[in-house]
Amino acid sequence: MGIPYVGSAFWELWEAGWPAAILRGASVTLAIGLCSICLGIVIGTIGGLVKWARLFPFTLAIDGYTTLIRGVPELLVIYLLFFSSAEFVSQVTAAFGYGGADDSAYGFVVGTVAIGVISGAYSVEVVRGALVAVPRGHIEAGRALGLSRGRIFRRIIAPQMLRLAVPGMNNIWQSTMKDTALISVVGLQELMRISSIGAGSTRQPLLFYAVAAVVYLGITIVSQIVFGVIERILNKSNRAG
Amino acid sequence: MELIQLSMPLLLSGLLLTLKISIFAVVIGFFIGLGLAIARISGSFMLAAFSQGYSSVFRGTPLMVQLFLFYYGLGQLSFIRDSALAWWVIGDGVRCAILVLALNSAAYTSEILRGGFMSVPKGALEAARACGMSKWLQFRRIEFPIAMRQALPAYGNEVILTLKGSSLASTIAVLEITGHAKRLMSQTFAVIEVFAMAGAIYLFINVVMIVLLRLTERSLMRHMAA
Amino acid sequence: MSVEIPAVCVEGIEKSFGSLSVLKGLGLTAHSGDVVTLIGSSGSGKSTFLRCINLLEQPDGGTITINGELVRTRQDRNGKWQPADRRQVERIRSKVGMVFQNFNLWPHMTVLQNIVEAPVHVLKIPRQQAEEEAHALLRKVGLADKPGHYPSQLSGGQQQRAAIARTLAMKPRLLLFDEPTSALDPELVGEVLRVIRQLAEEGNTMIIVTHEMQFAREVSSEIMFLHQGRVEEKGAPEIIFKEAKSARLRQFLARAAGGPGAD
Repeated sequence: MGIPYVGSAFWELWEAGWPAAILRGASVTLAIGLCSICLGIVIGTIGGLVKWARLFPFTLAIDGYTTLIRGVPELLVIYLLFFSSAEFVSQVTAAFGYGGADDSAYGFVVGTVAIGVISGAYSVEVVRGALVAVPRGHIEAGRALGLSRGRIFRRIIAPQMLRLAVPGMNNIWQSTMKDTALISVVGLQELMRISSIGAGSTRQPLLFYAVAAVVYLGITIVSQIVFGVIERILNKSNRAG
Repeated sequence: MELIQLSMPLLLSGLLLTLKISIFAVVIGFFIGLGLAIARISGSFMLAAFSQGYSSVFRGTPLMVQLFLFYYGLGQLSFIRDSALAWWVIGDGVRCAILVLALNSAAYTSEILRGGFMSVPKGALEAARACGMSKWLQFRRIEFPIAMRQALPAYGNEVILTLKGSSLASTIAVLEITGHAKRLMSQTFAVIEVFAMAGAIYLFINVVMIVLLRLTERSLMRHMAA
Repeated sequence: MSVEIPAVCVEGIEKSFGSLSVLKGLGLTAHSGDVVTLIGSSGSGKSTFLRCINLLEQPDGGTITINGELVRTRQDRNGKWQPADRRQVERIRSKVGMVFQNFNLWPHMTVLQNIVEAPVHVLKIPRQQAEEEAHALLRKVGLADKPGHYPSQLSGGQQQRAAIARTLAMKPRLLLFDEPTSALDPELVGEVLRVIRQLAEEGNTMIIVTHEMQFAREVSSEIMFLHQGRVEEKGAPEIIFKEAKSARLRQFLARAAGGPGAD
């Protein structure tokens, strides 16, 4: 009984501008994802380098950070950052209208910082793993030829590390994209939140959440293809031998 | 100090729900995941395609969307509301969370177990066939035990992820740890302290899980060369 | 010659992998106590032929009769031959022992557990009895002190001897050896050959695929030289090694004798 009703109401929704709202939400989702992963890459690179170079006692701090983030649910981290920020009152009022004022830039920032910090914790291990995976022999050859440490790092280690980190970063990107849905709890109007609002106001949760799922799936599939291309490009020069 | 006295009991009451949701989800998810993994490596194209599709959908969409889809979306359908069994599961926040978390975990588990099955040396299976073992005996005594041992580290990780996933139940009004934490944070403004306490509880469960995992690994993996 | 039923009688075996025809009508008959050794270059089909006998490879044509029992086959939808009765195959396999080139011990079990696994679960022998017999077998192959060890803790020669003990635990009527020493370091080959020789002397019916020519000459009752999926020549060891009729066989033997690891 529920499904035929959904079908017939579809055109009404189209009229009401919901598809546009969904797309808007999806673009906010992508924007948050991209900004977060950049933050995560920065954190991960610094942390990964520190751990790889074994710079005690900084490694302890990094370990504490990664253990904490990996052991605590993402939602809790988001609530921490959200509630502890001073302007949450204005954020709350902004969350109750749909499509009205633009997302408060503040919600965007809180969301980006939260997801960025989370992805950073996982990126540390990916970067460290990639650095460690650069074949010893390549580094030794550089030293035997008299190259300076800086040059060895820039020309031999770093390029290889980038290539080796791609699969791990692919995984982190997938997780990051899915984590952006969690920011809906603080009212930011990304895809999940828009779907929720739509579901609530039109009483069609099945339709809206199914559409949201399809959009997320679409983003996932496109990401996989893009990463596949990146991997293939980076590995082309590696094919010999 | 009195903050801790007030908050801790609430958070700990949430702990019971967190554990209940996580444990049921892990166990149910394991068996579904095992079935999916077997379907994937079976010769049948239909079964393998279904398993792969299931895995892609559940791993490619956020857990929160899946949760809302089941809780609110399926809850919209009259034939779900009318069915006593379906409503018993979908209508209740805790049980719905267990169901969705289990279905989600099953997708990841199936990939992990599939990796385990593929890593079983073909020779070990040949030797089993050669002494007259039936397919079922071969699976039960050789293939599954070896696959499980291979998969153990990755699976342990998945169990911890499921534990973290239980926190999403707070979005459908379930008062497990995160649910209580959110309430306390918004009511008391002692945000960092509440985070610290809730976080400590989660980290504690993590540590217990990891210790159990290491012990299991140690007893099952004695066969690996030193 | 008595009219006893041969331990194994295989006729007209054909096998192709895709368009490549590997076995072109091979046959073999062995009576109780015979030791038949298959020799030939790589690609001659000797291992594939051996594996057809216990149906680890499914032949595309021919018949297999073990202890007078014919393996029943049927054709499936694609016209390919399949065993008609899975249970028959399992039963026959429980009475045919195979020793593999790569030992194939089960890595997650100790040596003792490896040996008793099939007797307990396939032959339904009580565990206590199976373990006693297992210890006796370990003594026989020279591994009496290793029951609690895992395969990863043993050398190649020890693993292969454990694998032989595992095969013997099923009390098979026929023993198949698929290049049992090819994966071993040279200094470990001898200990395994010693065990196999002992089994031959005890009167076991054995079919062996090997490159160890000297050994083949000493233990076999019959040698078969395979070339490109056909039996080129066969006979008693003295004849084969001294007065081979086929030029190819003489070449093969010369090369095998010529250097270490020739071929």
